[in-house]
Amino acid sequence: MRAWLGNAALVGFFLATLALFGLLAPNFATASNFEDLMSGFSFVAILAMGQAFPILLKGIDLSIGATLALAGMIAFDLSLIAHWPGYFILPVVLAAATLAGIVNGLLIVYLRLQPFIATLASLAAYRGLVYLISGRQLVPSLSTTPISDSWILGLDTDFDVGSALGISAFVKLPWVPLSFFVMLLLLAALWALLDRTKFGRDVYAVGGNAEAARLAGIPVGRRVIACYGVCGFCAGVAALTLIARLTTATEALGVGTELTAIAAAVIGGVSLSGGVGGVFGPAIGAFLLGAVLLGLTLLGISQYVQQILTGAILLIAVGSDRALAVRRRNRLAANLAPPAPAGGHG
Amino acid sequence: MIATFAPVARRLAPHALVLAILLFIAAFSFLQPAFLKPENLIGILRQVSLIGIMAVCMTFVIMTGGVDLSVGPVLAISGLAAFFTLEAGWPLPIGIAAGIAVGVAVGLANGFLIAAFGLPPIIVTLAMLSIVRGTALIAGGPDLHAIRGHDSYTFIGAGSLWGIPMPIFLFGAVAAAVIFLQFATPLGVRVAAIGDNERAARLSGHRVWATKLVIYALSSAGAAFAGIIQTTQVHTAAATYGEFGTELDVIAAVVLGGTSLSGGHGSAARTVLGVLFLGVINSGMNILNVPIDSQLIAKGVLIAAALAAAERAKH
Repeated sequence: MRAWLGNAALVGFFLATLALFGLLAPNFATASNFEDLMSGFSFVAILAMGQAFPILLKGIDLSIGATLALAGMIAFDLSLIAHWPGYFILPVVLAAATLAGIVNGLLIVYLRLQPFIATLASLAAYRGLVYLISGRQLVPSLSTTPISDSWILGLDTDFDVGSALGISAFVKLPWVPLSFFVMLLLLAALWALLDRTKFGRDVYAVGGNAEAARLAGIPVGRRVIACYGVCGFCAGVAALTLIARLTTATEALGVGTELTAIAAAVIGGVSLSGGVGGVFGPAIGAFLLGAVLLGLTLLGISQYVQQILTGAILLIAVGSDRALAVRRRNRLAANLAPPAPAGGHG
Repeated sequence: MIATFAPVARRLAPHALVLAILLFIAAFSFLQPAFLKPENLIGILRQVSLIGIMAVCMTFVIMTGGVDLSVGPVLAISGLAAFFTLEAGWPLPIGIAAGIAVGVAVGLANGFLIAAFGLPPIIVTLAMLSIVRGTALIAGGPDLHAIRGHDSYTFIGAGSLWGIPMPIFLFGAVAAAVIFLQFATPLGVRVAAIGDNERAARLSGHRVWATKLVIYALSSAGAAFAGIIQTTQVHTAAATYGEFGTELDVIAAVVLGGTSLSGGHGSAARTVLGVLFLGVINSGMNILNVPIDSQLIAKGVLIAAALAAAERAKH
């Protein structure tokens, strides 16, 4: 219930941001701007939802940018060098990205590395792997060849929702990119996973107190590995939507996106102290960041100022999260404290 | 056989990093004798000096369970600050002081947000990374600013004394200063106490917030100093220096030195060893012409392996 209220506040803030920019920025409240928002930030939302899983466990995954590039490059190689059909490429790419995430989990569980260090090391290793398998360098002539597989490019289709609903005569709705629907589908699946299954309850238990969870009989190690696998899977999905839009993959794809994804997850109310949050918040957080960046661009504010404001938004988000946590703790302490004796202080 | 081996292994465990460095030096010089040439060894030290200064100065932050992701942009903005001050006709010491002061200001802001509001260091310094980079780009734009006619300024990074480049002396001086801070001043004790048990440190009367202000300021000051040295080495200042990934290299050097991200354990002296380890590996792979992709993979594997081994040795 409380999580639901937090999400409602976040959605309210998101809508207020949209309304504010709609009033201030020319061309913000237009169909094409919302098309930009949906096609440009759906993959950030997907990454942020994935990132929520390690953070729920009090961990972090710094390697998702490199995983994204790795998944993209595998798709590039399989399509342009091996000439595999797209319906084979998609599952293979997703499996590879999931495996990359699982390896992170194994490093954390079996080598007892801290998540920050394990994923920092795998960030370097995966990025190196991207250069190693780069089809652009193995076959230089391919570096200017776009991916033309219809299954992969099919991910970049746009749907005219307005016409489909028969209301385009009254209001001009944005065309919705398939990546947005993929994001929604993933959101529904991950929400169900966290909220409706035993696995999800275990994740919250492990994030809240790993030792207590272990004593309660939850297989903590397996849950941790699975969560990093989910995070890798999301990076794979994000990679596919991204290369479909770019029709190519580069070695530098996704550099720095891990920090954006972490920021979106934190803005979306996933607490770095573990066990608090969901996947709906991170998705909204990503689009909130996107709306602010697009709105500021339309207002003609320089990219440099936008960086400053992005940092400020992050500080405000984590500050309010902290304030909520303190209030929650105080209320808990007040409930647990023995009733004050009559005539006591206060 | 095994029975005689175990005590030796236990005796050697604390020196594993030194042994690993010597082992890699031996291996690289066996494969490529040019590795042992004095020019190459000095080159290694010169190359690691900037990362080294930042790593030594960040050690205390990591010992308290924190992290500083904002060092890359601080490096850039401090170089710019020094450049603009010198361009405006101020004397050299003022220029350097301006650069360091900008860094210290960022560090104090980090420390304040972390200590006063209890915000997570990774997010605060991530936000600061964005804020400082944006500010640097507003101040300096995307261009390179050439530094001309400041011979004593360029001496800091590009000069050499008795055939040894200045940055090596500066790295040595900073390392010595931080090691002194750790072992001969109350600050070292306070940092260890916070890392061990922050609540206990607070309850026993330490002003935890003051210590945090100091250590985040120190971390940023190190980055600022590195930024000044870098601008003098390449004779230009730019808002884009200290690109993404710098902070991760610095953190890797600190944790390789045995400082634990969960706080408590750590030493600035061992951070120097971590820096040298990374430097030897990088230089050796360069001299053997290992391609960049395999270098990255090897670096990742080595970091994971070294830390896993350290973790294993503790249990």
